[in-house]
Amino acid sequence: MRDDWDDDRLLAALREAMAARQAVPAKFIETGKNAYAWHNVDAELAQLTYDSRHDEGALARIRAETASVRALTFSSARFMIELEVTAAGLLGQIMPPGGGTIEAESQAGGTTIAAIDEAGGFSLDPLPASPFRLRCRTADGSDVVTGWITL
Amino acid sequence: MRDDPVVVALVARAAQGDQIAWNDIVERYAPLVWSICARYRLSGQDVEDVGQTVWLRLVEQLGKLREPAALPGWIATTTQRECVRVSRASRRPDRAAAEPDDLESVAGPVVIEQEVITAETHAALRAAFAELPLRCRQLLTLLMSDPARSYLEISTILQVPVGSIGPERGRCLQRLRRSSCLAAYIDNAV
Repeated sequence: MRDDWDDDRLLAALREAMAARQAVPAKFIETGKNAYAWHNVDAELAQLTYDSRHDEGALARIRAETASVRALTFSSARFMIELEVTAAGLLGQIMPPGGGTIEAESQAGGTTIAAIDEAGGFSLDPLPASPFRLRCRTADGSDVVTGWITL
Repeated sequence: MRDDPVVVALVARAAQGDQIAWNDIVERYAPLVWSICARYRLSGQDVEDVGQTVWLRLVEQLGKLREPAALPGWIATTTQRECVRVSRASRRPDRAAAEPDDLESVAGPVVIEQEVITAETHAALRAAFAELPLRCRQLLTLLMSDPARSYLEISTILQVPVGSIGPERGRCLQRLRRSSCLAAYIDNAV
């Protein structure tokens, strides 16, 4: 604050500062505080490597041929997770194939858990609330988490 | 201004697992994220999405920020990028051609810099205000009320003589001006 600001100017600046804070809804701040739950989540990160949304040709093909509306692929050093989003839910395949559990964790806080079958397939129905990310825990002890997915 | 030791300390504590420090960071910078979102006229849900993404990215970056003092700039840039992404994604494809990107809403570095400076000044003012004695906070809050209150009204509410309000206002504002929270700003201005 400039030392040469007179009282009126200082008070006006303070009023502006308080108003800027009051304009922010409590829920917005609460969500920000809750994000800290993700601190130090120690899992292998699988990053988005394919998204049909960014592939105009594929988008038209998918829409024409199947009930799928979006296809996504996430890859980490050791795993690949392919997803197909339909109106009904989410179908997935983890490779290399193997059993385990899959968790869909919404940023808003909800978690859905489903089994991954021996062939690496899984399904989530209904769709998790966006944005969410998937965490795969395989039978052999691997822990992989995808980047955030917004549908 | 960029070397605000308060910010550096908050980032260091949050990186070490201190939820209180994290909460302080969110309290301090949520108005910055909010004001940038307001510039893009996003829907309520989109603003929530942007906010969540910005904070989650920051959680992932804690401890990796090369220059913790540059945090507000990082928050502003990340928020702006997310606003652009969300506003493009939420635009219906059949209308996309009719609505070219509103380039004016993508602010350049000068605008962002100004938003960051304003947000930092506001945060420092709020911190300084929070340290004032209760009497000062009450008086200044009444003096800032909208619509404005007369000294007579304020004297009735606080049960003090009308004549004491002017001098007390000056003393409280002087304490505010001298607060250590604002020290970084005074140095910067000289």
